[in-house]
Amino acid sequence: MIRFRRAVLWAALIAVILLAVLSVYGAFLGTDGAQAFFNSLPLAAYWLALTVLLIVGLVVFRRLLQIPSLLLMHVGCVLVLLGGMWGSNAGHVVQRQFLGIDKVPKGQMMIREQAEDNRVIAADSNEPRQLPFSVRLKDFRMEYYKPGTLFIRSQAGQMWELPAEAGARLSLGNTFGWVFVQRVFENFKLRKEDGKTVPYDAPGGSNPALQVVIERPDGTTTAGYVFEQFQPIFTEPVDLNLIYRRVVRDYISDLEIVQNGEVAAAKEIEVNHPLHYGGYHFYQHSYGEDELGEYTVLLVVSDSGLNLVYGGYMMLIAGVAWHFWGRRTLIAIKSRRMITPQAEQELPVAPGRQE
Amino acid sequence: MEIKYTIQGLLIYITIAVYLLAFVAAVARRARAGRIMFAAGFLLATVSCAYRWYDVRHVPLQNLFEIFLFLGVACYPISWFCRRFLRVGGQWADMLIGAIVLVPAGFVFNAHPMQLPPALQSWLFAPHVAVYMFAYVFMFKAMFHAFEQLIVTPDAERTLLPPEQATYELIAIGFPLLTLGLVLGSWWGKLAWGDYWGWDPKELWSLASWLVYLGYFHWRYMFGKIHARINSLWAIAGMAAIIITLLWVNLSRLFPGLHSYAM
Repeated sequence: MIRFRRAVLWAALIAVILLAVLSVYGAFLGTDGAQAFFNSLPLAAYWLALTVLLIVGLVVFRRLLQIPSLLLMHVGCVLVLLGGMWGSNAGHVVQRQFLGIDKVPKGQMMIREQAEDNRVIAADSNEPRQLPFSVRLKDFRMEYYKPGTLFIRSQAGQMWELPAEAGARLSLGNTFGWVFVQRVFENFKLRKEDGKTVPYDAPGGSNPALQVVIERPDGTTTAGYVFEQFQPIFTEPVDLNLIYRRVVRDYISDLEIVQNGEVAAAKEIEVNHPLHYGGYHFYQHSYGEDELGEYTVLLVVSDSGLNLVYGGYMMLIAGVAWHFWGRRTLIAIKSRRMITPQAEQELPVAPGRQE
Repeated sequence: MEIKYTIQGLLIYITIAVYLLAFVAAVARRARAGRIMFAAGFLLATVSCAYRWYDVRHVPLQNLFEIFLFLGVACYPISWFCRRFLRVGGQWADMLIGAIVLVPAGFVFNAHPMQLPPALQSWLFAPHVAVYMFAYVFMFKAMFHAFEQLIVTPDAERTLLPPEQATYELIAIGFPLLTLGLVLGSWWGKLAWGDYWGWDPKELWSLASWLVYLGYFHWRYMFGKIHARINSLWAIAGMAAIIITLLWVNLSRLFPGLHSYAM
């Protein structure tokens, strides 16, 4: 039995070293390469072996069962591994074949505003699959940090930045003079008023622009418009390159889940705030616009195994924190002194040394 | 090299100088003067970090400049904690660490303020990064003591913990923080990107770091007394993995991934 225990300890150490080495190797493969590598058949065998090794360790080392913190850590790792395997593509195949649970592990949905759909393009096969409910996109919008920024660059490579808000001004030195931002447009449009073409901010739509004036050192001025999506327009040529940029603060999709003709759930999803319904999480993933209008792209991820993983995480953290902080603090308090080498002696020693 | 002719830059340079003076004083056995200057350096580093916070309007942990600025603040309280509660010495090393970590902030990394991208607008952002940074400082200190064990002859009359024991104490404090950082990152990844584990190079290197310290504990449990010097090699290997996780993964083009914005 002692030899078997030693063998298990050695196997655990080798498994840890091997996984560290594989992680480093995987880092050089890039995200997609690493994902394929760690989900390959030999690695699936490794995950299974590691899980079995942890369970065997729990059986043969009584200490792991007797000391709650060690038990929590090791059982936590087992749960994380089981949850990971259950939620993997292979785990979903097992669920389908043996339990009749047919879920899409991961995929994407493209939905237009005011439309609903239940088709998911599965990531593993690129084939369309159907959800047992539909998702309706009520609205998609993007929010920006305010103000945006007007970038100014001379032909010699000098760079300036100016907050894109009405009234902002910046000196460009003796060579170029001053730049003023006169007006900010969310959706720049032109219309005729009394025979003149005048700009205005139209409701809806998106054509962000700035009305800008450049005052040269000799006192002459040039007015124009700097657009986010188009080339700037000035009344006369300017020897400066002006660019208007805004930084996206958030992407928001207003979603409704429709099941049996009724709205079963609704949520405005954004990055970090997914919608959870029917065994799936829906994430704001991307967006786009074509001749038919704006659309959102949702990432759909099955929640299989997630509770096991989260349960494992909680046990792991509780175990590690109690083992390394709580227990030692308790020993220190009990002995009415700070942690000392003597207190350390009270901690368990290796079985090799016990023997 | 980028010298910063700003208030922020000035604060960083003065802090580096004060930390270095504290180090010199400590090495010259002017312990009291060293401690006072170390505390003064901490105050300056805190002001510098607070100034950055005010400037960028979010917790300054977004990029490597802000990370190293934060590390400059974390050194002092960790040093105090170690001495007060763990009886782990090496305060002179902490003063040097404080100066070392501020050098990249002062001379290497771009301090241009950036707005938070959507993925970073989460309550998990600050705890995930801060917990990791505290863990890294503990592990960095552990590495110093590991080297001390390998290089220096043991002093039987010392009042503080011997280097091997000190290394263990520090890793025992840092490892739960490392675990918490890993789990918080995983949870956040699930909320932001849909996967609690995305096989991103940064994630894999941070897992490798965690596993090296896990290996340290298993090794120490099995052979800690028989091959005590090898314990220290584990601690040094762990810190090497951390440095790669923190720097190489973000700076090298070898590792493109989801954490690239952290530059």
